[in-house]
Amino acid sequence: MIVAENVEKRFGDVAVLKRVNLKVEPGEVVTILGASGSGKSTLIRCINGLEALSGGKITVDGHDVSTKAGLVAARRASATVFQLFNLYPHMTALGNITLAPIEVLKLPKAEAEARGRALLDKVGLGAHADAYPQQLSGGQRQRVGICRALAMQPRYLLLDEVTSALDPEMTGDVLRILAELAADGTTMVFVTHEIEFARHISNRIVFLEQGELIVDLPTAEFFAEDGGLAVPRIRQFLSKMKKD
Amino acid sequence: MRFWRVIEPHLGFLLQGFALTIAACLLAIVGAVLLGAVTASMRSSGNTWVRGAANAYGDVFRNVPFLVQLFFFFYGLPELGIYIGAFETGVIAMSIAGGAFVSDVILSGIMTVDTGVIDAAKVSGLSRFKIFTRIVLPIALRVSVRPMGSVLINLVLTSSILSTITVNELTGTAKIVAATTFKPFEVYAVLLVLYASLTTLLSFVISATHHRLNRFMTGG
Repeated sequence: MIVAENVEKRFGDVAVLKRVNLKVEPGEVVTILGASGSGKSTLIRCINGLEALSGGKITVDGHDVSTKAGLVAARRASATVFQLFNLYPHMTALGNITLAPIEVLKLPKAEAEARGRALLDKVGLGAHADAYPQQLSGGQRQRVGICRALAMQPRYLLLDEVTSALDPEMTGDVLRILAELAADGTTMVFVTHEIEFARHISNRIVFLEQGELIVDLPTAEFFAEDGGLAVPRIRQFLSKMKKD
Repeated sequence: MRFWRVIEPHLGFLLQGFALTIAACLLAIVGAVLLGAVTASMRSSGNTWVRGAANAYGDVFRNVPFLVQLFFFFYGLPELGIYIGAFETGVIAMSIAGGAFVSDVILSGIMTVDTGVIDAAKVSGLSRFKIFTRIVLPIALRVSVRPMGSVLINLVLTSSILSTITVNELTGTAKIVAATTFKPFEVYAVLLVLYASLTTLLSFVISATHHRLNRFMTGG
Protein backbone atom coordinates (compact mmCIF):
# COMPACT_ATOMS: atom_id res chain seq x y z
CA MET A 1 0.00 0.00 0.00
CA ILE A 2 1.15 3.53 -0.78
CA VAL A 3 0.28 5.96 2.01
CA ALA A 4 0.80 9.71 1.86
CA GLU A 5 0.10 11.53 5.12
CA ASN A 6 -0.08 15.31 5.34
CA VAL A 7 2.46 15.63 2.55
CA GLU A 8 3.88 19.12 2.11
CA LYS A 9 6.19 20.23 -0.65
CA ARG A 10 7.56 23.72 -1.04
CA PHE A 11 9.86 25.07 -3.73
CA GLY A 12 11.28 28.11 -1.98
CA ASP A 13 8.25 30.12 -0.85
CA VAL A 14 5.85 28.35 -3.18
CA ALA A 15 3.76 25.62 -1.57
CA VAL A 16 3.21 23.01 -4.29
CA LEU A 17 1.59 20.35 -2.11
CA LYS A 18 -0.44 21.22 0.98
CA ARG A 19 -1.27 18.52 3.53
CA VAL A 20 -2.05 15.89 0.92
CA ASN A 21 -3.43 12.56 2.13
CA LEU A 22 -3.72 9.61 -0.21
CA LYS A 23 -3.92 5.83 0.08
CA VAL A 24 -3.45 3.40 -2.78
CA GLU A 25 -4.29 -0.25 -2.06
CA PRO A 26 -2.77 -3.11 -4.08
CA GLY A 27 -4.89 -3.81 -7.17
CA GLU A 28 -6.29 -0.29 -7.33
CA VAL A 29 -6.00 2.14 -10.21
CA VAL A 30 -6.04 5.67 -8.84
CA THR A 31 -6.11 8.60 -11.21
CA ILE A 32 -4.87 12.02 -10.16
CA LEU A 33 -6.57 14.85 -12.02
CA GLY A 34 -5.95 18.54 -11.79
CA ALA A 35 -4.91 21.57 -13.82
CA SER A 36 -1.31 22.11 -14.86
CA GLY A 37 0.67 23.29 -11.86
CA SER A 38 -1.74 21.75 -9.37
CA GLY A 39 1.01 19.47 -8.04
CA LYS A 40 0.10 16.17 -9.70
CA SER A 41 3.53 15.39 -11.06
CA THR A 42 5.18 16.64 -7.89
CA LEU A 43 3.12 14.16 -5.88
CA ILE A 44 4.39 11.32 -8.10
CA ARG A 45 7.95 12.63 -7.74
CA CYS A 46 7.53 12.63 -3.97
CA ILE A 47 6.31 9.03 -3.98
CA ASN A 48 9.33 7.81 -5.96
CA GLY A 49 11.72 9.97 -3.97
CA LEU A 50 12.82 12.30 -6.76
CA GLU A 51 11.67 15.20 -4.59
CA ALA A 52 12.34 15.41 -0.85
CA LEU A 53 9.26 16.16 1.25
CA SER A 54 9.01 19.47 3.08
CA GLY A 55 6.62 17.88 5.58
CA GLY A 56 4.49 14.83 6.21
CA LYS A 57 5.32 11.26 5.36
CA ILE A 58 5.06 8.83 2.45
CA THR A 59 5.39 5.08 2.85
CA VAL A 60 5.37 2.38 0.18
CA ASP A 61 4.52 -1.01 1.69
CA GLY A 62 5.54 0.50 5.02
CA HIS A 63 8.92 1.78 3.77
CA ASP A 64 9.41 5.47 4.57
CA VAL A 65 10.76 7.14 1.41
CA SER A 66 12.49 9.85 3.45
CA THR A 67 14.97 7.31 4.86
CA LYS A 68 17.79 5.92 2.78
CA ALA A 69 16.93 2.25 3.30
CA GLY A 70 13.22 2.99 2.96
CA LEU A 71 13.74 4.73 -0.36
CA VAL A 72 15.71 1.78 -1.74
CA ALA A 73 12.89 -0.58 -0.75
CA ALA A 74 10.18 1.80 -2.02
CA ARG A 75 11.91 2.17 -5.38
CA ARG A 76 12.24 -1.58 -5.55
CA ALA A 77 8.46 -1.90 -5.09
CA SER A 78 7.49 0.74 -7.63
CA ALA A 79 8.38 1.80 -11.15
CA THR A 80 7.79 5.06 -12.97
CA VAL A 81 6.89 5.92 -16.55
CA PHE A 82 7.67 9.51 -17.49
CA GLN A 83 5.98 12.12 -19.66
CA LEU A 84 9.06 12.63 -21.83
CA PHE A 85 10.01 8.91 -21.80
CA ASN A 86 13.50 9.57 -20.38
CA LEU A 87 14.98 6.60 -22.20
CA TYR A 88 18.74 6.09 -22.06
CA PRO A 89 19.75 7.49 -25.47
CA HIS A 90 22.93 5.44 -25.76
CA MET A 91 21.25 2.09 -25.24
CA THR A 92 19.00 0.03 -27.48
CA ALA A 93 15.36 -0.57 -26.57
CA LEU A 94 16.36 -3.93 -25.11
CA GLY A 95 19.35 -2.34 -23.33
CA ASN A 96 17.05 0.21 -21.71
CA ILE A 97 14.79 -2.55 -20.46
CA THR A 98 17.45 -4.95 -19.19
CA LEU A 99 19.84 -2.52 -17.45
CA ALA A 100 18.10 -2.38 -14.08
CA PRO A 101 17.01 -6.05 -14.00
CA ILE A 102 20.67 -7.03 -14.53
CA GLU A 103 22.25 -4.43 -12.24
CA VAL A 104 19.62 -4.15 -9.50
CA LEU A 105 17.74 -7.46 -9.53
CA LYS A 106 20.98 -9.30 -10.47
CA LEU A 107 19.20 -11.36 -13.11
CA PRO A 108 21.47 -13.28 -15.49
CA LYS A 109 21.81 -11.35 -18.75
CA ALA A 110 20.15 -14.08 -20.85
CA GLU A 111 17.13 -14.23 -18.56
CA ALA A 112 16.77 -10.42 -18.45
CA GLU A 113 16.93 -10.29 -22.24
CA ALA A 114 14.39 -13.07 -22.65
CA ARG A 115 12.02 -11.20 -20.33
CA GLY A 116 12.74 -7.92 -22.12
CA ARG A 117 11.99 -9.42 -25.52
CA ALA A 118 8.77 -10.93 -24.20
CA LEU A 119 7.69 -7.49 -22.93
CA LEU A 120 8.58 -5.85 -26.24
CA ASP A 121 6.56 -8.51 -28.07
CA LYS A 122 3.62 -7.80 -25.81
CA VAL A 123 3.60 -4.10 -26.75
CA GLY A 124 4.14 -4.81 -30.45
CA LEU A 125 7.80 -3.80 -30.58
CA GLY A 126 9.39 -7.23 -30.89
CA ALA A 127 11.10 -6.19 -34.12
CA HIS A 128 12.61 -3.07 -32.56
CA ALA A 129 14.63 -4.61 -29.71
CA ASP A 130 17.92 -3.42 -31.20
CA ALA A 131 16.74 0.06 -32.19
CA TYR A 132 18.05 3.13 -30.36
CA PRO A 133 15.51 5.60 -28.93
CA GLN A 134 16.42 8.13 -31.65
CA GLN A 135 15.22 5.64 -34.24
CA LEU A 136 11.79 5.19 -32.65
CA SER A 137 8.65 7.31 -32.78
CA GLY A 138 7.30 8.95 -29.62
CA GLY A 139 4.65 6.30 -29.15
CA GLN A 140 7.19 3.54 -29.62
CA ARG A 141 9.54 5.20 -27.14
CA GLN A 142 6.83 5.41 -24.54
CA ARG A 143 5.98 1.75 -25.02
CA VAL A 144 9.66 0.98 -24.40
CA GLY A 145 9.39 3.19 -21.30
CA ILE A 146 6.47 1.09 -20.08
CA CYS A 147 8.41 -2.13 -20.75
CA ARG A 148 11.37 -0.73 -18.84
CA ALA A 149 9.13 -0.09 -15.86
CA LEU A 150 7.41 -3.49 -16.06
CA ALA A 151 10.72 -5.34 -16.37
CA MET A 152 11.34 -4.50 -12.70
CA GLN A 153 8.13 -6.39 -11.83
CA PRO A 154 6.90 -3.53 -9.68
CA ARG A 155 3.99 -3.80 -7.27
CA TYR A 156 3.07 -0.22 -8.13
CA LEU A 157 3.26 1.51 -11.47
CA LEU A 158 3.54 5.32 -11.31
CA LEU A 159 2.49 7.00 -14.55
CA ASP A 160 3.33 10.67 -14.92
CA GLU A 161 1.34 12.15 -17.84
CA VAL A 162 2.61 9.36 -20.03
CA THR A 163 0.60 10.36 -23.10
CA SER A 164 0.94 14.16 -22.89
CA ALA A 165 3.79 14.27 -25.40
CA LEU A 166 2.10 11.97 -27.93
CA ASP A 167 -0.28 12.56 -30.81
CA PRO A 168 -3.79 11.02 -30.58
CA GLU A 169 -2.93 7.90 -32.57
CA MET A 170 0.15 7.11 -30.50
CA THR A 171 -1.81 7.93 -27.36
CA GLY A 172 -4.31 5.24 -28.34
CA ASP A 173 -1.51 2.64 -28.63
CA VAL A 174 -0.16 3.48 -25.19
CA LEU A 175 -3.58 3.63 -23.51
CA ARG A 176 -4.51 0.21 -24.90
CA ILE A 177 -1.46 -1.25 -23.17
CA LEU A 178 -2.31 0.50 -19.91
CA ALA A 179 -5.89 -0.78 -20.09
CA GLU A 180 -4.56 -4.33 -20.42
CA LEU A 181 -2.30 -3.80 -17.43
CA ALA A 182 -5.21 -2.47 -15.40
CA ALA A 183 -7.32 -5.46 -16.39
CA ASP A 184 -4.48 -7.73 -15.23
CA GLY A 185 -4.74 -6.15 -11.79
CA THR A 186 -1.61 -3.96 -11.93
CA THR A 187 -1.71 -1.28 -9.24
CA MET A 188 -1.37 2.12 -10.85
CA VAL A 189 -1.15 5.73 -9.82
CA PHE A 190 -2.02 7.57 -12.95
CA VAL A 191 -1.50 11.28 -13.53
CA THR A 192 -3.27 12.19 -16.73
CA HIS A 193 -5.41 14.57 -18.74
CA GLU A 194 -7.12 11.67 -20.53
CA ILE A 195 -10.35 11.94 -18.58
CA GLU A 196 -12.46 9.50 -20.55
CA PHE A 197 -9.74 6.90 -20.32
CA ALA A 198 -9.30 7.53 -16.59
CA ARG A 199 -13.03 7.02 -16.20
CA HIS A 200 -12.76 3.59 -17.82
CA ILE A 201 -9.80 2.16 -15.96
CA SER A 202 -9.79 3.88 -12.54
CA ASN A 203 -11.23 2.63 -9.29
CA ARG A 204 -10.81 6.04 -7.75
CA ILE A 205 -10.18 9.57 -8.88
CA VAL A 206 -8.58 12.27 -6.79
CA PHE A 207 -8.53 15.92 -7.72
CA LEU A 208 -5.72 18.31 -6.89
CA GLU A 209 -6.35 22.04 -6.83
CA GLN A 210 -3.38 24.32 -6.19
CA GLY A 211 -1.62 21.68 -4.15
CA GLU A 212 -4.64 20.62 -2.12
CA LEU A 213 -6.32 17.29 -2.60
CA ILE A 214 -9.92 18.50 -2.61
CA VAL A 215 -11.76 15.35 -3.73
CA ASP A 216 -11.07 11.62 -3.39
CA LEU A 217 -13.97 9.52 -4.71
CA PRO A 218 -14.72 6.19 -6.38
CA THR A 219 -14.83 6.80 -10.14
CA ALA A 220 -18.61 6.50 -10.55
CA GLU A 221 -19.23 8.96 -7.72
CA PHE A 222 -16.63 11.37 -9.08
CA PHE A 223 -18.60 11.71 -12.31
CA ALA A 224 -22.02 11.74 -10.58
CA GLU A 225 -24.08 14.93 -10.47
CA ASP A 226 -24.35 14.72 -6.70
CA GLY A 227 -20.71 13.60 -6.32
CA GLY A 228 -17.64 15.19 -7.92
CA LEU A 229 -19.68 17.24 -10.35
CA ALA A 230 -21.34 18.97 -7.42
CA VAL A 231 -17.96 20.64 -6.75
CA PRO A 232 -17.95 23.76 -8.95
CA ARG A 233 -14.18 23.64 -9.58
CA ILE A 234 -14.37 20.05 -10.85
CA ARG A 235 -17.40 20.73 -13.05
CA GLN A 236 -15.51 23.67 -14.55
CA PHE A 237 -12.34 21.58 -15.05
CA LEU A 238 -14.17 18.70 -16.71
CA SER A 239 -16.16 20.90 -19.07
CA LYS A 240 -12.99 22.69 -20.15
CA MET A 241 -11.24 19.37 -20.77
CA LYS A 242 -14.11 18.13 -22.92
CA LYS A 243 -13.83 21.18 -25.17
CA ASP A 244 -10.14 20.50 -25.85
CA MET B 1 72.07 11.02 -49.12
CA ARG B 2 73.50 13.34 -46.50
CA PHE B 3 70.41 13.33 -44.31
CA TRP B 4 70.28 9.56 -43.99
CA ARG B 5 74.05 9.36 -43.31
CA VAL B 6 73.57 11.65 -40.31
CA ILE B 7 70.51 9.88 -38.90
CA GLU B 8 71.15 6.24 -39.68
CA PRO B 9 73.76 5.46 -36.96
CA HIS B 10 71.48 7.04 -34.31
CA LEU B 11 68.13 5.77 -35.53
CA GLY B 12 67.98 2.90 -33.06
CA PHE B 13 68.66 5.25 -30.16
CA LEU B 14 66.05 7.72 -31.35
CA LEU B 15 63.46 4.96 -31.74
CA GLN B 16 64.23 3.82 -28.19
CA GLY B 17 63.38 7.33 -27.08
CA PHE B 18 60.24 7.25 -29.22
CA ALA B 19 59.18 3.99 -27.55
CA LEU B 20 59.63 5.63 -24.15
CA THR B 21 57.57 8.62 -25.31
CA ILE B 22 54.78 6.29 -26.44
CA ALA B 23 54.87 4.40 -23.14
CA ALA B 24 54.77 7.62 -21.09
CA CYS B 25 51.93 9.01 -23.20
CA LEU B 26 49.80 5.87 -23.06
CA LEU B 27 50.15 5.61 -19.29
CA ALA B 28 49.54 9.34 -18.82
CA ILE B 29 46.46 9.27 -21.09
CA VAL B 30 44.96 6.43 -19.06
CA GLY B 31 45.85 8.24 -15.82
CA ALA B 32 44.55 11.62 -17.01
CA VAL B 33 41.26 10.20 -18.29
CA LEU B 34 40.60 8.19 -15.11
CA LEU B 35 41.57 11.10 -12.87
CA GLY B 36 39.58 13.50 -15.06
CA ALA B 37 36.47 11.29 -14.93
CA VAL B 38 36.67 10.91 -11.14
CA THR B 39 37.28 14.64 -10.71
CA ALA B 40 34.40 15.53 -13.05
CA SER B 41 32.07 13.27 -11.05
CA MET B 42 33.23 14.99 -7.85
CA ARG B 43 32.73 18.42 -9.41
CA SER B 44 29.14 17.48 -10.25
CA SER B 45 28.51 16.19 -6.71
CA GLY B 46 25.91 17.73 -4.43
CA ASN B 47 28.37 17.71 -1.53
CA THR B 48 30.07 21.11 -1.10
CA TRP B 49 33.30 19.66 0.31
CA VAL B 50 33.69 17.05 -2.41
CA ARG B 51 32.98 19.68 -5.07
CA GLY B 52 35.35 22.16 -3.43
CA ALA B 53 38.23 19.68 -3.24
CA ALA B 54 37.83 18.72 -6.90
CA ASN B 55 37.59 22.35 -8.00
CA ALA B 56 40.71 23.23 -6.00
CA TYR B 57 42.67 20.45 -7.72
CA GLY B 58 41.49 21.61 -11.14
CA ASP B 59 42.25 25.26 -10.46
CA VAL B 60 45.75 24.62 -9.10
CA PHE B 61 46.95 22.32 -11.86
CA ARG B 62 45.49 24.29 -14.74
CA ASN B 63 47.10 27.48 -13.51
CA VAL B 64 50.71 26.39 -12.96
CA PRO B 65 53.15 25.78 -15.84
CA PHE B 66 53.76 22.09 -16.44
CA LEU B 67 57.52 22.53 -16.14
CA VAL B 68 57.06 23.94 -12.64
CA GLN B 69 54.74 21.08 -11.66
CA LEU B 70 57.24 18.57 -13.01
CA PHE B 71 60.15 20.06 -11.05
CA PHE B 72 57.92 20.27 -8.00
CA PHE B 73 57.31 16.51 -8.12
CA PHE B 74 60.80 15.58 -9.26
CA TYR B 75 62.60 17.52 -6.53
CA GLY B 76 59.76 17.62 -4.01
CA LEU B 77 58.86 13.94 -3.66
CA PRO B 78 62.36 12.89 -2.45
CA GLU B 79 62.09 15.65 0.20
CA LEU B 80 58.97 13.85 1.41
CA GLY B 81 60.84 10.55 1.46
CA ILE B 82 59.19 9.24 -1.71
CA TYR B 83 61.76 7.87 -4.11
CA ILE B 84 60.44 6.88 -7.53
CA GLY B 85 62.15 6.96 -10.90
CA ALA B 86 62.17 9.94 -13.23
CA PHE B 87 59.95 8.13 -15.74
CA GLU B 88 57.34 7.30 -13.08
CA THR B 89 57.48 10.86 -11.76
CA GLY B 90 56.94 12.16 -15.29
CA VAL B 91 53.94 9.89 -15.91
CA ILE B 92 52.37 10.89 -12.59
CA ALA B 93 52.92 14.61 -13.25
CA MET B 94 51.44 14.30 -16.75
CA SER B 95 48.43 12.37 -15.42
CA ILE B 96 47.76 14.96 -12.75
CA ALA B 97 48.17 17.93 -15.09
CA GLY B 98 46.18 16.26 -17.87
CA GLY B 99 43.46 15.13 -15.45
CA ALA B 100 42.72 18.72 -14.50
CA PHE B 101 41.97 19.60 -18.13
CA VAL B 102 40.17 16.34 -18.89
CA SER B 103 37.86 16.93 -15.91
CA ASP B 104 36.87 20.25 -17.49
CA VAL B 105 35.76 18.75 -20.78
CA ILE B 106 34.02 15.78 -19.15
CA LEU B 107 32.21 18.10 -16.74
CA SER B 108 30.92 20.19 -19.65
CA GLY B 109 29.62 16.95 -21.17
CA ILE B 110 27.97 15.93 -17.90
CA MET B 111 26.10 19.23 -17.84
CA THR B 112 24.46 18.34 -21.15
CA VAL B 113 22.93 15.10 -19.79
CA ASP B 114 19.14 15.34 -19.57
CA THR B 115 18.15 15.27 -15.88
CA GLY B 116 15.06 13.23 -16.81
CA VAL B 117 17.31 10.40 -17.94
CA ILE B 118 19.08 10.50 -14.58
CA ASP B 119 15.69 10.53 -12.81
CA ALA B 120 14.73 7.37 -14.68
CA ALA B 121 17.98 5.70 -13.61
CA LYS B 122 17.48 6.78 -9.98
CA VAL B 123 13.94 5.44 -9.66
CA SER B 124 14.98 2.13 -11.22
CA GLY B 125 17.13 1.61 -8.14
CA LEU B 126 20.58 1.88 -9.76
CA SER B 127 23.37 2.90 -7.39
CA ARG B 128 25.00 6.30 -7.81
CA PHE B 129 28.16 4.62 -9.05
CA LYS B 130 26.26 2.65 -11.68
CA ILE B 131 24.30 5.72 -12.74
CA PHE B 132 27.56 7.58 -13.29
CA THR B 133 29.44 4.83 -15.10
CA ARG B 134 26.58 3.35 -17.14
CA ILE B 135 24.44 6.42 -17.89
CA VAL B 136 26.03 9.81 -17.19
CA LEU B 137 29.59 9.18 -18.37
CA PRO B 138 28.79 7.47 -21.69
CA ILE B 139 26.31 10.22 -22.59
CA ALA B 140 28.72 12.96 -21.49
CA LEU B 141 31.60 11.46 -23.46
CA ARG B 142 29.73 11.67 -26.73
CA VAL B 143 30.11 15.46 -26.59
CA SER B 144 33.31 15.50 -24.52
CA VAL B 145 35.41 13.14 -26.56
CA ARG B 146 36.44 15.64 -29.25
CA PRO B 147 37.57 18.45 -26.94
CA MET B 148 39.19 15.74 -24.83
CA GLY B 149 41.14 14.77 -27.95
CA SER B 150 42.68 18.24 -28.04
CA VAL B 151 43.64 17.95 -24.39
CA LEU B 152 45.23 14.54 -24.93
CA ILE B 153 47.14 15.68 -28.03
CA ASN B 154 48.46 18.55 -25.99
CA LEU B 155 49.46 16.04 -23.33
CA VAL B 156 51.46 14.06 -25.90
CA LEU B 157 53.28 17.22 -26.95
CA THR B 158 53.90 18.10 -23.31
CA SER B 159 55.70 14.77 -22.85
CA SER B 160 58.77 16.36 -24.47
CA ILE B 161 59.24 18.33 -21.24
CA LEU B 162 60.07 15.08 -19.45
CA SER B 163 63.51 15.42 -21.07
CA THR B 164 64.23 18.11 -18.47
CA ILE B 165 64.12 15.57 -15.64
CA THR B 166 66.59 13.12 -17.22
CA VAL B 167 63.95 10.97 -18.95
CA ASN B 168 65.48 10.02 -22.30
CA GLU B 169 62.28 9.99 -24.24
CA LEU B 170 62.20 11.18 -27.84
CA THR B 171 63.21 14.79 -27.16
CA GLY B 172 65.80 13.68 -24.61
CA THR B 173 67.50 11.31 -27.06
CA ALA B 174 67.31 13.94 -29.79
CA LYS B 175 69.15 16.45 -27.63
CA ILE B 176 71.93 13.91 -27.08
CA VAL B 177 72.15 12.99 -30.77
CA ALA B 178 72.10 16.64 -31.81
CA ALA B 179 74.90 17.41 -29.36
CA THR B 180 77.09 14.55 -30.56
CA THR B 181 76.52 15.01 -34.30
CA PHE B 182 76.26 18.80 -34.39
CA LYS B 183 73.39 18.28 -36.86
CA PRO B 184 70.34 19.60 -34.95
CA PHE B 185 68.31 20.31 -38.10
CA GLU B 186 68.35 16.70 -39.31
CA VAL B 187 67.66 15.33 -35.85
CA TYR B 188 64.73 17.62 -35.15
CA ALA B 189 63.31 16.97 -38.62
CA VAL B 190 62.99 13.34 -37.56
CA LEU B 191 61.25 14.42 -34.34
CA LEU B 192 58.82 16.52 -36.32
CA VAL B 193 57.71 13.46 -38.27
CA LEU B 194 57.58 11.15 -35.25
CA TYR B 195 55.57 13.51 -33.01
CA ALA B 196 53.21 14.38 -35.85
CA SER B 197 52.59 10.72 -36.64
CA LEU B 198 51.90 9.97 -32.98
CA THR B 199 49.37 12.80 -32.60
CA THR B 200 47.78 11.98 -35.96
CA LEU B 201 47.27 8.41 -34.83
CA LEU B 202 45.70 9.71 -31.61
CA SER B 203 43.37 11.94 -33.66
CA PHE B 204 42.19 8.90 -35.59
CA VAL B 205 41.49 7.03 -32.36
CA ILE B 206 39.54 10.02 -31.02
CA SER B 207 37.49 10.31 -34.22
CA ALA B 208 36.71 6.61 -34.19
CA THR B 209 35.68 6.78 -30.53
CA HIS B 210 33.49 9.81 -31.22
CA HIS B 211 31.88 7.98 -34.09
CA ARG B 212 31.25 4.91 -32.00
CA LEU B 213 29.79 6.82 -29.05
CA ASN B 214 27.47 8.74 -31.36
CA ARG B 215 26.32 5.78 -33.45
CA PHE B 216 22.95 5.83 -31.71
CA MET B 217 22.39 9.40 -32.89
CA THR B 218 22.12 8.41 -36.54
CA GLY B 219 18.85 7.58 -38.25
CA GLY B 220 15.33 8.22 -37.03
